[in-house]
Amino acid sequence: MATRTACQVFRRRFSSASAALRPSTAEIRSRRNAVFSREQQRQRALYPRIEKIEVSLRGPGLDGTLLIMNKGMSTPLSCARHLTEYHMNNSALALVDGELWPLHQPLTDSCTLTLLMFNDSDPTLLNEAYWRSCSALLGQVLETAFKDDYTVELLSTPEVPVTSGAFCCDVVLDPQLDSWTPSPESLRSLTRGAQQLIHQNLAWEPLEVAPSVALEVFSHSRCKQEEVEQKASDSPKGTVMLYRCGDHVLLSGGPLVARTGLCSQYEVTAMHSLGQGPWGHHRRTQGLSLPLQLQAHHTVWRRLRERAEKLVSFPSCSQRIPYGGKADTPPLALQTPPPTP
Amino acid sequence: MRLTLQMLISHGRVARRIGLGPESRINMLRNILTGLVRHERIETTRVRADEVRFYAEKLIDYAKKGDTDEKAMKMASFWLTEKDLVPKLFKVLAPRFENHSTGYTRMARIPNRENLDRAQMAVLEYKGNPFPPLYPVKKENELTLINQLLKGYREERARARVLAAEA
Repeated sequence: MATRTACQVFRRRFSSASAALRPSTAEIRSRRNAVFSREQQRQRALYPRIEKIEVSLRGPGLDGTLLIMNKGMSTPLSCARHLTEYHMNNSALALVDGELWPLHQPLTDSCTLTLLMFNDSDPTLLNEAYWRSCSALLGQVLETAFKDDYTVELLSTPEVPVTSGAFCCDVVLDPQLDSWTPSPESLRSLTRGAQQLIHQNLAWEPLEVAPSVALEVFSHSRCKQEEVEQKASDSPKGTVMLYRCGDHVLLSGGPLVARTGLCSQYEVTAMHSLGQGPWGHHRRTQGLSLPLQLQAHHTVWRRLRERAEKLVSFPSCSQRIPYGGKADTPPLALQTPPPTP
Repeated sequence: MRLTLQMLISHGRVARRIGLGPESRINMLRNILTGLVRHERIETTRVRADEVRFYAEKLIDYAKKGDTDEKAMKMASFWLTEKDLVPKLFKVLAPRFENHSTGYTRMARIPNRENLDRAQMAVLEYKGNPFPPLYPVKKENELTLINQLLKGYREERARARVLAAEA
């Protein structure tokens, strides 16, 4: 206990010392980007010759269609482009052999493919992925919203069920901002930042990397490195999934949807303080969003938004979905370690 | 007879003239009604379907009297030209509409015929037929994102109401 307080003191002292020398956020971002691109190039170069794989499609009206695609290069999006524009624009995630697969990740073997859309008969997995992508977008907006003098630490985004009414993004701001409470205007400017990203229609590019590469990407953030180690121990293959949106690299607990343009109504509703945590003053930013195909009337939107302003709390702080497995683990209690799949 | 102007003007006359004359009209409607009883869903011109509708429902009313009834059997054997449909009428269609008092048929208009005559077409069916519905019922999917959000919203409102009622 004494050692823990001593460690905390040392960590805070060291973090404040390194804050003076730490590179600016733009530099950190470009460095992360460079490592990501390098790893992406290396993974693409693993398939120098074009080999063909057979992809059989499943879905209403598509059962039995066989596509011949390239190994390591074709993504489920390229399969959708062989079908129709409707499939290309409306599919947000894919199911490859029963496993959730981001739309921009290359296929590696002959498989069965199902394209998931928001108006399917059972879009539960897609809803969870959409909620995760909205939190990831909120995290990206928060990282770029503040001036360079203030540091922003994104904590692991908690897995919130859709029925709770809002997605959350836990963040720890600079100690100088501890007494700052956001006004409606600042929330509105955050919303505008998110709307700009949505308008640019950036794709979330997935990349499966070994934990060492992920640790290199997040070399400036101790909190993110711990998260990487946690996720690496959780996943069955021992790899970690990184996503890049524009020039922002992020870590995610599960698959994200294809691109930011799929969200249409997006609003940052509230920021609640959760008190002091191991990294500083915890804040939970909440938001509400609906996809392009399921837009709400403004009366319905107003009521959902009022509900989204209330604090979302749940028994488990972060429900970890082991990557590569099915996303149906039960919620965890706060102190027990995660069950190994 | 006296050739008056009223003979040429047909304002307010509801009886339709089909075919070559009244006998031809009854024969045509008889054929269409036989087809309807056999197949339970047929496609004809709009006017013929509208005319047959009245006779189809009257035939069911007669069939409900039972096949022992003399008048009902005479009507059935007159109107159904194919005699193997008479038992079908009494044993299948009459029991089906036991609890209905009116409205045994449904008519739906469809796009005009592709021929040169471009006739207005309609589909006439007996209710309770085994085919897929003419007007398919669109079921709201409870699991879409917006419906799940609204479900959460409704549950929270119910919880708040319970708490307010207790307090």
